Amino acid sequence: MASDSLAGVPLAWPEQPGELPRRFDSRQALEAELQQLFPEAPGALSPIRGGRRQAELLLQRLQPERYAKGRNFLDGPVTRLSPYIRHGVLTLAEVRDAVFARTRSRQGSEKLINELGWRDYWQRLWRRLGDGIWHDREPLKTGQAPEHYAAALPADLLEARTGLACMDGFVQELHSTGWLHNHARMWLASYVVHWRRVRWQAGARWFLQHLLDGDPASNNLSWQWVASCFSSKPYLFNRDNLERFSSGRYCRVCSAATDGTCPFEASYEQLQVDLFPGAGPC
Amino acid sequence: MLKPVLWIHAEALGPANPALVAHPGTPAVFVFDRELIVQAGLSLKRLGFLYECLLELPVSLRKGDVAEEVLAFARAHGADGIVTSAGTDPRVEVICRTLEQQLPVQLLAVEPFVQLEGPADLGRFSRYWRRAEREVWAGWDQEV
Repeated sequence: MASDSLAGVPLAWPEQPGELPRRFDSRQALEAELQQLFPEAPGALSPIRGGRRQAELLLQRLQPERYAKGRNFLDGPVTRLSPYIRHGVLTLAEVRDAVFARTRSRQGSEKLINELGWRDYWQRLWRRLGDGIWHDREPLKTGQAPEHYAAALPADLLEARTGLACMDGFVQELHSTGWLHNHARMWLASYVVHWRRVRWQAGARWFLQHLLDGDPASNNLSWQWVASCFSSKPYLFNRDNLERFSSGRYCRVCSAATDGTCPFEASYEQLQVDLFPGAGPC
Repeated sequence: MLKPVLWIHAEALGPANPALVAHPGTPAVFVFDRELIVQAGLSLKRLGFLYECLLELPVSLRKGDVAEEVLAFARAHGADGIVTSAGTDPRVEVICRTLEQQLPVQLLAVEPFVQLEGPADLGRFSRYWRRAEREVWAGWDQEV
């Protein structure tokens, strides 16, 4: 059998007729089988592998102090543990203990523990709100009525042909890998809701279709935070911010960045005026 | 419950799943939720990630209506009850209610990230964290 074969751990009971296969010659064979079993689910496998073994490899690489310093950069030392935490491959308590085991000073690990706290917070809110996480928690602070936002995502966005190298790059990465850096998620969500004026629910549903860590609570409430129905003001970014934290990788190859049509090339004050003309000062 | 089966759902696909810990070697099943996959429009990436996680667990795999499949699995193994782990998704509770109409269901708690006495103020993260952070770090203090 090929070295990349996938075999389920042995079972202590006989399998029943009609149960799904647990042995594959290769990852490609798994993909082909899943395409047969779930014709309603589009696409292919992610290059990111599931499973406890992979999760433990990532856990061993945790560097809480480096995380605290560099986590906002797209190429920064983020943990990439979110898909495994979302599905309980690792519990939040296990990750907390792994961080503690690598903690020399509390200050160096506070940021990473804080981020685990966010996950716990979203889960507590989900238990309290149930399906209410799909509804605006508070009124928008954009000066726009909810009905002024489109119900569906525009085709050029879904097809990664907005002409903005950053946004098209994020969409391609989301669709092909099922994972995006948190900063990229925030920029993409802000672009969808504030520049394209689409309802946050459409964006949230789209993310949940693709993100391997797609968790309705973390996802929807973060979209609400960006939209301003779960925060005191809408989340905005500008080119300076995106270029800095992406180390310029998109702006270097973006025609909009050089021909003066980049919609993010402005001060925050100007963006506020342009995007939210009906809103009061933030 | 003398002869249960385990229902493994998508919030607990690791060895710390309390049902797997409490009942090693007991027949366990995961069901790909056809209705959820269609309604949410889940991509193959997500299903593939789950599948790879599941191959590393002692669990039989099915697809279709979750409650119907778990009950069929229980019948096939002559079970007198179902043990599972507590979930956050309201869908877990709905499925448990359906299962309970046929067999007793035992829900086991997953180890919490932080234990807070009484209701927490969840109005904003900062309010929650002001209280929770102290409790989380108390665990570290005990270990050093």
